[in-house]
Amino acid sequence: MSEALAAAKAAADRLTKLRRLNATLTPAKDLRKSLLAQAAGAHPSGVLYGMPVAVKDNICTLDFTTTAGSKVLAGWHAPYEATAVAKLRVAGALIAGKTNCDEFAMGSSTEHSAYGPTLHPLDRHRVPGGSSGGSAALVAAGGVPAALGSDTGGSVRQPASFCGVVGIKPTYGRVSRYGLVAYGSSLDQIGVLGRSVHDAARVLSVISGRDPKDATCEDRDPLRLPIVPEDLQGFVIGIPREYFPPDLDPGVRRAAERAIRLLRDLGAAVRDVSLPHTRYAVPTYYIIAPAEASSNLARYDGVRYGPRADGAGDVHALYRATRGEGFGPEVRRRILIGTYVLSSGYYDAYYRRAQQMRALIAQDFRNAFDRGVDLLFTPTTPTTAFKLGEKLADPVQMYLSDLFTVTANLAGLPAVSLPIGRIKGLPIGGQFIGQEFLEDEMLEAAYALERVVPATEDV
Amino acid sequence: MSVSRDEVVRIAQLAELDVDEEELDALAEQLSRILEYVAQLQEVPAGEALRPFTSGPDALRLRSDEVKPSPLAFGPDRMAPAFRDGFFVVPRLGQFEDGGE
Repeated sequence: MSEALAAAKAAADRLTKLRRLNATLTPAKDLRKSLLAQAAGAHPSGVLYGMPVAVKDNICTLDFTTTAGSKVLAGWHAPYEATAVAKLRVAGALIAGKTNCDEFAMGSSTEHSAYGPTLHPLDRHRVPGGSSGGSAALVAAGGVPAALGSDTGGSVRQPASFCGVVGIKPTYGRVSRYGLVAYGSSLDQIGVLGRSVHDAARVLSVISGRDPKDATCEDRDPLRLPIVPEDLQGFVIGIPREYFPPDLDPGVRRAAERAIRLLRDLGAAVRDVSLPHTRYAVPTYYIIAPAEASSNLARYDGVRYGPRADGAGDVHALYRATRGEGFGPEVRRRILIGTYVLSSGYYDAYYRRAQQMRALIAQDFRNAFDRGVDLLFTPTTPTTAFKLGEKLADPVQMYLSDLFTVTANLAGLPAVSLPIGRIKGLPIGGQFIGQEFLEDEMLEAAYALERVVPATEDV
Repeated sequence: MSVSRDEVVRIAQLAELDVDEEELDALAEQLSRILEYVAQLQEVPAGEALRPFTSGPDALRLRSDEVKPSPLAFGPDRMAPAFRDGFFVVPRLGQFEDGGE
């Protein structure tokens, strides 16, 4: 039996046992059949040969359906595959099914999936985070060593923090968006969840690099993996004070401060910095992202693909009924907000203002890096995983869980979350934010911290 | 910034989205809440005229104008709810059909 076939059988068995999490959307039988068939054809010289990698359901694959967690794409088979998925296959990886997500990647808990929530692997009353909750839960539960997710406002890093795994968002333009169902096109990136920095980084390295099919993908070679450094001598790490507000959860503060002490012990110089426009990041994001979403989701109208509403008298009635029936409440809210902030009379006050604020936020980071800081370190999330249903009453409460993650998307910068401890048994992540296209430096710091931080110990 | 029921109806029309009568009040409330929250950007002085931030490469790269085979695994006939003779079939176009405004 080839290694790939053995890996395929083992993955199929594990994923079947993990069905209770509702992390995998692909039916078990289809998944097993596909894994075995893929193993037969896997490239033995590929760097990821035999590695099962699950894929978030907003990323197009030729095997399996692509629903983006929505009814509006129920049962949809993509006629093309994402460049990132094609690269995984060429590298010999096995595509281990599609994972659950908030509808169209809009959400921070995976509760907004049309296919039911995914459960946190350590506590079934809690959310795994979102929108890449299925991928994070599957990796955390040992189903697969790595999974693809997407990150527009933190949707790879926040679930990574909640589930206790590594989550990397690359620099905007590092990984092709061809085949990623578009949500916020100036913010979206495919990212990787992994059980270790090494697993996540290897997958990122394979999926990165130029793609003529994506005009926003930079003309660069794939990311080269750094070697694991002995220490962090020579690194200057900035701690932005705005990410440590006075009301920060004490457990999160303890975990982050412990990690900062370890960074000092590793030889890094640690410096206090300020990113003064941080407090405007979440409102800026929740103007720009819905605006872009309202445009990107205009295509779902029941005409060319997807389910179509019955009985519509004319084409406008068809659009309205298909979309009204097909989209869930969070997506509808965001489309309406996006339409509002782009509409005549409101465009200047909201959208144009948000674009200016975005420039100021990006400038804050440039100023910090220009002053000699190599990387920034922050908590990834303001809390550990919250309970199912806890944040559904007020949409803004849910948005606030993205406090520390949206800035990297607004500024187009790479960021990685790794587990840095437990608070009452629940994982919490720490985040490095790097300079654009310097993922290797960021990953060196992540490797070094990972080796010394007691990630599964309560703080 | 408070959004009224009527405004929700207007925005929903712009967004080509059906909204149930019963949902209008709740939606107006939620949208008002969100818009109030994001309106804090207006606190920041308007004078900061910065070049808007753009993600991605500074210029679009053009590729050579070559005809290549379709990259799709199958065509619209296999995906569309209704497709005939190369056309997507939809209910009548409504106001546009009579050649009116």
